[in-house]
Amino acid sequence: MLFASIHRSKAMLAILLILLTLPVAAQDKVELTLSIGARGFGDAAPILIEACENEVGGISVEWERISDVPNESRSIYVTNFTARNSKPDIIAVDVIWPGDFAARGWVAPIEDYFSEEELAEYIPGFLAAAQVGGSTYAIPLYIDGIHLFYRADLLEKYGFDAPSTWEALIAQAEAIVEGEANPDLAGFISMWAKIEGLFMNWLAFFQGAGGTFFDADGNLAINNEAGVQSLSTMVGMLESGVAPESILTFRPNDARLLFQQERAVFLMVQDFVLATLTADDSPVKDAVQFTRVPYFEGNDMANTTVIGGFLLAVNKHSENVEAAADFIKCFTSYESQVQASLIQGKVPTRPAVYDDERITADAPGVAALGANFVYAFARPSAQTGTAYPEISEIMQTEISAALLGEKTPEQALADAEAQILAIMP
Amino acid sequence: MKSANRAGPVFLVPALLIIAFVLLFPIFQTIVLSFGRNSTSIFYGYEFAGLANYQRLFNTPRFITSLNNTILFTAVTVPIELAIGIGLALMLNRNFRGQGLARMAVLFPWALPTALNALMWRWMFNTEFGLFNSMLTDTGLVAERINWLGAIPTAMAAMIFVSIWKTSSFMALLLLAGLQTIPDDLYEAGSVDGTSRFSEFRFITLPLLKPAMLVSVLLRTMDAMRAFELPFNLTDGGPLTSTETLSLYAYRAIFQYVNFNLGSSAILIQFIIIMSISVFYIFLIRRGDL
Repeated sequence: MLFASIHRSKAMLAILLILLTLPVAAQDKVELTLSIGARGFGDAAPILIEACENEVGGISVEWERISDVPNESRSIYVTNFTARNSKPDIIAVDVIWPGDFAARGWVAPIEDYFSEEELAEYIPGFLAAAQVGGSTYAIPLYIDGIHLFYRADLLEKYGFDAPSTWEALIAQAEAIVEGEANPDLAGFISMWAKIEGLFMNWLAFFQGAGGTFFDADGNLAINNEAGVQSLSTMVGMLESGVAPESILTFRPNDARLLFQQERAVFLMVQDFVLATLTADDSPVKDAVQFTRVPYFEGNDMANTTVIGGFLLAVNKHSENVEAAADFIKCFTSYESQVQASLIQGKVPTRPAVYDDERITADAPGVAALGANFVYAFARPSAQTGTAYPEISEIMQTEISAALLGEKTPEQALADAEAQILAIMP
Repeated sequence: MKSANRAGPVFLVPALLIIAFVLLFPIFQTIVLSFGRNSTSIFYGYEFAGLANYQRLFNTPRFITSLNNTILFTAVTVPIELAIGIGLALMLNRNFRGQGLARMAVLFPWALPTALNALMWRWMFNTEFGLFNSMLTDTGLVAERINWLGAIPTAMAAMIFVSIWKTSSFMALLLLAGLQTIPDDLYEAGSVDGTSRFSEFRFITLPLLKPAMLVSVLLRTMDAMRAFELPFNLTDGGPLTSTETLSLYAYRAIFQYVNFNLGSSAILIQFIIIMSISVFYIFLIRRGDL
């Protein structure tokens, strides 16, 4: 009796083992994990994943939905990569990360899986953010540039054209706010909380005043006339009330919300807000238009479109680097980018896509954004490598100090310069 | 019987191993990392740097600010929470209709997850859309919206307010448990002797509540010194670094600058401060008087 029951349980165990191993044996596919934000790629993600699974063949890709807040997803990567975890295989990296991640040995070089012609099809300035020491560590997925959104109805009412200079923008904002006599209407809003977006904002002002973070010789060049002009203008906008005080607590979505409620004339944030602002239930859907970020008078050739956005990189400790690279190639292909634009309004990283007939016909907003990328520039992340997060933090702190009136713009820039020089290699 | 006793410790081994693995090892690693340089693990690429990280920390104004913020936050919130907690506990200790319901209601703020709670308050403090500003401007009490979380003294004040709102009920709960251990006959004896309400509280309730008070103050002090979710979700440490706590600073050092060594040193300093405070409290509790 006892003997029989042992036999039976052994047989059961054997069957169980066979059942457990069956699905693996039948599938026999390379399993990849793609870590990308749920808002970032939204509805386009599952569609493109399925298309690329079919196109690449022999792979099965799982979508890991991570946070869309860069600092939050970065924390997850820091944990995974310092622990040398082999998952996720493919990660979406913010444009400012590749230099840092490559220097730390977290992402694998993938230039061997792409021909030079293939790499040349992406926007060079964007790809450059992922190229360190002759290697390419990530492939551009979509752009999230900063643009100036404005209320075309209000500008028209007062007979203004879209402003191309800061001087014009400030004058227009003051005139419209005064004319409307609405205490709830703000002239200019943006993301001036102490976040990366604040640094991007100041950089846009700074470049518009003719400055560059590093000069042609690679020396830090922030404590100068352009630096002071840009920061003083921001402080002045707060003091004169063109920008409301609450701008100091705004992240991109807070500013977007205020603009969408018809409570601001100008909004300067990344283009991901465009889809929401022009959605059917948006009160400003017919009134919102956009143009490139302004410059200061006399600097009309300045590059003022700060590039943000995401690239795809491969985990250095992934067990399937080649399959992951193949997947990235498909996920960022011409056809994939057209689909991502049509489905989710993502802004392509291949110049050719902007001229695609389907884009010009069905996503004119995306096509129009392309014009502003003529004036694109990237943040100084590739040059600063692992020091970038700290440099950005120093800049955010010093800019905030000036905006809060704790320091003069001159003092803030001098302090920022001294701190950055102390940590630069 | 003897052999059963001898087997006892053996059965404890798995539990002890788990505790050592999840509790002692991370502490050990943090201590070792805090004396290192450019290293994220004690197993590979560890480089000894002596006291360099500690030196750097005490020369970093931002660290000093976060230390001061943490101490200010703790020193203001804990006494106020204790006072409100005592008041609430005394009220809840009375017999009245709906006592159970009232106790549940008091527990509600404490039961809310801190992160969620902070996000909720962040909306209420929002300058443009927030509840407080719309109430204040609608009633005409203030003309200009107050920039609660965007200005320097108000952000810290808001954070302190939220913390008091949330954790006073925790204090009340612990103190209520303490109140219920006070035997009724003491009060009866008091009333026979004709004590006033105040001297009843002063000479019976307060002395006998002391152990419970010390325990709840100890727990809250440790908690406040470690505050992370509240500043992280309410103010993100801003404006500038005016609400950045030690935990938030250490988090930034580790996860933003990927400087595990500097972050570990900050954590260790925090650990030493909390330990000293706790030892002091425990000493008071042991001594049995104050």
